[in-house]
Amino acid sequence: MMGNTTRKRAILASALLAITGLFASALPAQAAEVGVTAKEIKLGITSPLSGRVAAVYGKVPGAMNAYFQHVNDNGGVYGRSIKLISKDDAYLPTSAVAQTNQLILKDKVFAIVGALGTANHLAALRSTNLSGRGIPDLFVNTGFSGFADPKKYKTTFAVLPSYRMEAKIMAKYIKDNLPGKKIALIVQDDDFGIDAAAGFAQAGLTFEKTIKFPVGRDTAADAQGWITNTLKPANIDLAIVFATTSTTAALLGTSAALGYRPTSGWMLGSVGGDSNTLIAGRVPLAILNGAIGFNFAPDPQDPTDEYVAEFKKIYAKYVPGSTFDLTVLQGMNTAMLTVQALRAAGKNLTRKGLIAAIKAKGSTFASAGFTPLKYSNTSHVGYNGYWIGKYSATGALLPIDGKRTIYTTDSGSGAVKVITSSRAKLPKDGLPTNK
Amino acid sequence: MPKKLKVRLSLFILLGWVLLLLGDRVDELRVYQGASIAVYAIAIGSIVLLTGYSGQISLGHGALMAVGGYVAALASFEFGVPFWAGFILAALFSGMFGGLLGIAAARLSGPYLAGTTLALAVGLPSLANQFSILGGEQGLYFDIGMPPAILGESFTQYKWFYWIASLAALIVFFLLSNLLSSRYGRTWRGIGSNETAVALSGSNPQRLKIVAFTLSSALAGLSGALLVMTISTASPSAFPLALSLSVVTGAVIAGVSSLKGVILGSVILVAIPEVADAISHRVGDTLRISSTLPGLIISVLLVLAVLFTPNGPGENLRHLLHKGKSHK
Amino acid sequence: MLKLLNTILIGLSTGAIYSLMSISLVLVWRSTRVVNFAQAGQAVFSTYIAYEVSLRTGNFWLALLCAVLSGALLGAFIDFFFMRMLFKHVTSGPIRAIAPVVATLGLLGIIRSAVGYIWGVEVKPLEPPVSTDGIRIGSEVLPFSTYDALILLIVFVVLMILTFIFQRTSLGLSLKASAFSPEISRLSGVRVDLTRTVGWAIAGACGAIAGVLATPTSLLSPNSLDILLVFGFVAAVIGGLESMLGAVVGGILLGLGVTFIANYVGSTLVFLSAFVFLIIVLLVKPAGIISGKRSRNA
Repeated sequence: MMGNTTRKRAILASALLAITGLFASALPAQAAEVGVTAKEIKLGITSPLSGRVAAVYGKVPGAMNAYFQHVNDNGGVYGRSIKLISKDDAYLPTSAVAQTNQLILKDKVFAIVGALGTANHLAALRSTNLSGRGIPDLFVNTGFSGFADPKKYKTTFAVLPSYRMEAKIMAKYIKDNLPGKKIALIVQDDDFGIDAAAGFAQAGLTFEKTIKFPVGRDTAADAQGWITNTLKPANIDLAIVFATTSTTAALLGTSAALGYRPTSGWMLGSVGGDSNTLIAGRVPLAILNGAIGFNFAPDPQDPTDEYVAEFKKIYAKYVPGSTFDLTVLQGMNTAMLTVQALRAAGKNLTRKGLIAAIKAKGSTFASAGFTPLKYSNTSHVGYNGYWIGKYSATGALLPIDGKRTIYTTDSGSGAVKVITSSRAKLPKDGLPTNK
Repeated sequence: MPKKLKVRLSLFILLGWVLLLLGDRVDELRVYQGASIAVYAIAIGSIVLLTGYSGQISLGHGALMAVGGYVAALASFEFGVPFWAGFILAALFSGMFGGLLGIAAARLSGPYLAGTTLALAVGLPSLANQFSILGGEQGLYFDIGMPPAILGESFTQYKWFYWIASLAALIVFFLLSNLLSSRYGRTWRGIGSNETAVALSGSNPQRLKIVAFTLSSALAGLSGALLVMTISTASPSAFPLALSLSVVTGAVIAGVSSLKGVILGSVILVAIPEVADAISHRVGDTLRISSTLPGLIISVLLVLAVLFTPNGPGENLRHLLHKGKSHK
Repeated sequence: MLKLLNTILIGLSTGAIYSLMSISLVLVWRSTRVVNFAQAGQAVFSTYIAYEVSLRTGNFWLALLCAVLSGALLGAFIDFFFMRMLFKHVTSGPIRAIAPVVATLGLLGIIRSAVGYIWGVEVKPLEPPVSTDGIRIGSEVLPFSTYDALILLIVFVVLMILTFIFQRTSLGLSLKASAFSPEISRLSGVRVDLTRTVGWAIAGACGAIAGVLATPTSLLSPNSLDILLVFGFVAAVIGGLESMLGAVVGGILLGLGVTFIANYVGSTLVFLSAFVFLIIVLLVKPAGIISGKRSRNA
């Protein structure tokens, strides 16, 4: 009996030894500002590089890195080169928290940029307390409206227009141009759905049919049912799809196979509307042709757009062999905004200075987006709207009115406004010179 | 008997004291990981109790952890219950849920139970989007509040998590080791190896199995609540199938037939992603490498561990120590 | 009425694919008593092989054949190099029940990382051999294509071939014998180890067919068959885990059940419904629909 306890003690001792081994790590030297040296600025990103959604979002860090490389090869930001440390969170909140902790506590990054995924980043933000620690959390890569809340998250800046804004703009377009139509909504049953539903309710748009589906469901089989059993019998005029590209592709592919099309066609949310990815997903051009789409940035297929042309060139140089799509464009655009924010914060780079610089000058940054950036002392909202387009016979999204009218709104009860775009010109060679 | 209890109690107090000291010696990242280790230790303990002692298999303990996590978050978020009471409620509710499941489970043998629990792990989290009170995909905010002021200004949130999780783990393992070394625990182990013998000795194996499932679920629920504490959020994606499977993996590494390897199992679960990350950064930094190599390293280690030490490195360590002692 | 017909048609082709995955899990379970999670990885790997062949030759049937061969080889390889060693070490006790599961999870991770490294994470399409357009009857287009009919046909043919192997060949006899009483088989001269490896190979081939058939209507990525594995396993359990007929019946029932829920209740409850469905079946029949003695003769 006593032998048992002695053995137990030995086990405990060895287990403790194992923990101590893990815990033994050198304490870092304290620098002037965390993550900044005379030569280098360390930034960090968490995103899904493996797992279910890696196919959709896995290209983001590579795209951002390509742009940073371009800047580094051309002198960096005031002589400092940017180092992006990318961590895989497999799209899981627990990993996102653990990896964000690695970034801020071990790698000691200066700021987090472009973090991906609503639930993941929300958990990371709350648990690691980026706001309380004063760590900048720039340009979060999701359309969930809750991130742009300067009171709760002092250091977090949104960049994408929110799902709620998109829903309000969709509703406005439908009321103006397609009144009295029977409309169906097909929506992913997660933050997409909740945020978008709030926007549609705000705008007073009601649906003949609403179809919700869970994340991660193989949609081709379900889509057959949605079309034959729901959309078709209800004689739907317009079907709105609020889903990721893979689901949108499955739905459109199935609709083509069933020879089905709502009388006034499809309306695709921006998240699932990248035609490059849709076509790669075997969506026939015929079904895409004429569908209505939304974007704040240019279509990645648009060769006449100076931003697209420049980004494409940079991407091909640093990530050869990879397709240039909307995810890549948005990633590079975020990187370009980051570089301008770092420049605006000045040579004496601090976290406080960076946040102040975005608040003060963020709305003037040059970017590929046609809609304005709404950064200010009281607002952490990025782009606040969309232009509306129609997919052409080759799958390119072209302005529906020919002149790219911009619809802007907010994530609250504000009205939808119509403005004309006044995008800043691309800085020479895509290298910002702002101060 | 009481003497044995006294020895065990003082051992756990000693261990607690060491953990306390450790928490002061290391940086914040390690403190956070320490909290995660304690959380996983309880989860792995729940599998060891279930599989190692009563011979039942669950591939869906993540679902039970989800029940606990949501109960704790709801209790605090909706009803303003103090967090420690939330943890107790979490264990109670998931214990009850697990008990119901256990009644069904007791009728099922190995793979059937594995299939059922697997389907549960895949299906249950999707409920969160069905009821608005559960907060949908972005989940419920679970905030246990700042550490008490008495602990001082420099006492961080993560250290508070670490204290709470470690204390919970110590209490759980103290109770569990007493239970398992009791007569009841020995009968339990009997079901794992020879159900008929147990029945002949006058115990009801079905009932024992249900009790084991209930207790195991309660522990899983508690660890789920603590997990939700460490990430401040109860959301469906925090409880993926991968969580259930990694808890089972941890239990196998720990050596599923005894509680003693539990810490080793959870240390490995927490440490390996970081180690794999470090190695893959050494090898190269292209996207392909950084997105596939960590997974590869984890998997290779896993396969090697199971192939060469199928009873768990924990068990092997025990044998080694045992041998060393008998040479003396 | 039309809705009912539509739902049944969708359910059948969904269930047919579940059946194939379920068969491959049952074959491994019967021969080794292992729930083989690596099957999702094996199938994905074989499907990538099919993708490569199809890309180069444009021939679906050649692609399918190569996938089947690579699936069989990979299955045999895993049994020969991993499972044999594992069972040498693992003897008995509770670890016997879960160590193999963890080992196959590890193998799944290895295959998935390798696939991700070779082919990247971007999705890949696979061209179907026949039209995936719904069949037209009068003015109605049914949610059932020539391709769906082909899937059902292939499942039927696979089942026939397997039944033939198991009932009429000496290999089949050895497979059955070594599955149900390895010791007696060994004594009566059956090379149990070799037979088991053959079982893994056949299972790998079936998984490959499931993967290849599922992909043209969805897309291929390193994780794209994970859910299929889960549903295949649930189907296998419903079917009783021992018989191939059970696997097919379980697969079709699950496919129909899930599709009915998706169409009459809502897609959001699909994942949960698989669990509910399974637990109902198991409460009524704790060892699956086709179980006990009958399965040994099937």
